[in-house]
Amino acid sequence: MKHNITPLQVHAFVDGELDLTPQLEMEAQLAQDAALRAQVQSAQSLRDTVRDGADYHAAPAALRSRIQALGGTPPQKAAAAAPGQRWFAWRPMGLALAALGLLVWGLTLSLGLWPSSHDERLMQEAIASHARATLGQRLVDVASSDQHTVKPWLSSRLDYSPPVHEPRLPGVVFLGGRVDYLDGRPVAALVYKQHEHIVDVFVWPTLGADTPMRALSYRGFNVHHGSRAGMNYWVVSDLNPGELAVLAQSLQIAELAR
Amino acid sequence: MTDADNRRRFAALAVPHLDAAYNLARWLTRNDHDAEDVVQEACLRAMRHFAGFRGDQVRPWLLQIVRHTCYSWLKENRPAEIVALDEGDEPWREGMAPFADEPPQLAQRKADRAQINQAIAGLPVAYREVLVLRELEDLSYKDIARITDVPLGTVMSRLSRARGLMQQALTPGARPPLRSVSRLNRGGEPS
Repeated sequence: MKHNITPLQVHAFVDGELDLTPQLEMEAQLAQDAALRAQVQSAQSLRDTVRDGADYHAAPAALRSRIQALGGTPPQKAAAAAPGQRWFAWRPMGLALAALGLLVWGLTLSLGLWPSSHDERLMQEAIASHARATLGQRLVDVASSDQHTVKPWLSSRLDYSPPVHEPRLPGVVFLGGRVDYLDGRPVAALVYKQHEHIVDVFVWPTLGADTPMRALSYRGFNVHHGSRAGMNYWVVSDLNPGELAVLAQSLQIAELAR
Repeated sequence: MTDADNRRRFAALAVPHLDAAYNLARWLTRNDHDAEDVVQEACLRAMRHFAGFRGDQVRPWLLQIVRHTCYSWLKENRPAEIVALDEGDEPWREGMAPFADEPPQLAQRKADRAQINQAIAGLPVAYREVLVLRELEDLSYKDIARITDVPLGTVMSRLSRARGLMQQALTPGARPPLRSVSRLNRGGEPS
């Protein structure tokens, strides 16, 4: 009956932040202590209430383009949105475009690269990574179907916080996440399972504009990729294209609803 | 050249965390316009110090600067908000109260969005920031400690206290201590 678990530890337990020894102590105590269970439930329900109910204030577009402009990236949207000044910006813009064209042309020549071949290389990397994970026994580093466990785990190991969604599709299970290496950087891989098929969703930040989801297929693997809200998505699986599209869409919709 | 590189690199690393930066600033300043100013100022500051940034964790680093800029802003514009907390040695006494008698679950379900937002906005700044960083940004205790510049134990006790206050505010029939706190802060005259 008597235990020395403080409310602080109850909260740390709910947040997944207890060290191993107190965690074990907590689990043992929870099994036999209804009052403690009620405390944990109460803390969890408060946590969920706040997470679901509180407003999240995303950065306004104007602020975003101002900060992007700090880095010297031309805020394209802002230029397009000011038609009154178009005559003024015409000439420098034309020159800039011409210069950009030359630069891209020179780069592609010197590197022998087209943007599509970058995508193709990425696709092969993503498929290789997916295949390695499914062949080996290490699908996930953090095994949990709770996005509130997986997301902070990944955030603390990456320099960004990937959007993590539990799928709302019947038959789809969220297995967890791992940190993988793609496109020359550590990235988040979210792992789902649908009827024995493993689905890897690789997510990492991009500076580019949003691009719609595209379906590709390569050596029996189906791939969807696109970017939205500043994140690159590569979805890889041996699931059939139709089901993969539905799953990709459901994850996308989940994100739209946020 | 190196400066331009630096700025480009900074923008590339910082922009993905802009939502987090703005969300924190918005909850601390409690209005859109000032939050934008604060974030922009913080980014300029961050860029100035970016050359010295050697870590690999951009997000806590940037949020630390945003939070610091928020506090400068508060000090100038809402000095009443930064009154010292009665941190005390019994940090979890309040966290304990809602556990004692147990009606809260039902009450919470009924709490609507406006009520929740109002309850968070009514928390003292030091509690509000840990709650926002934890529940809305999903940051670890370690990162929160770094951003708010306090020891880990203080993060735990503030979070526990913040949740205790939230629970009180969201339990109907309870005295509404939070709203009056926020009004006090605006008037700057504690009674």
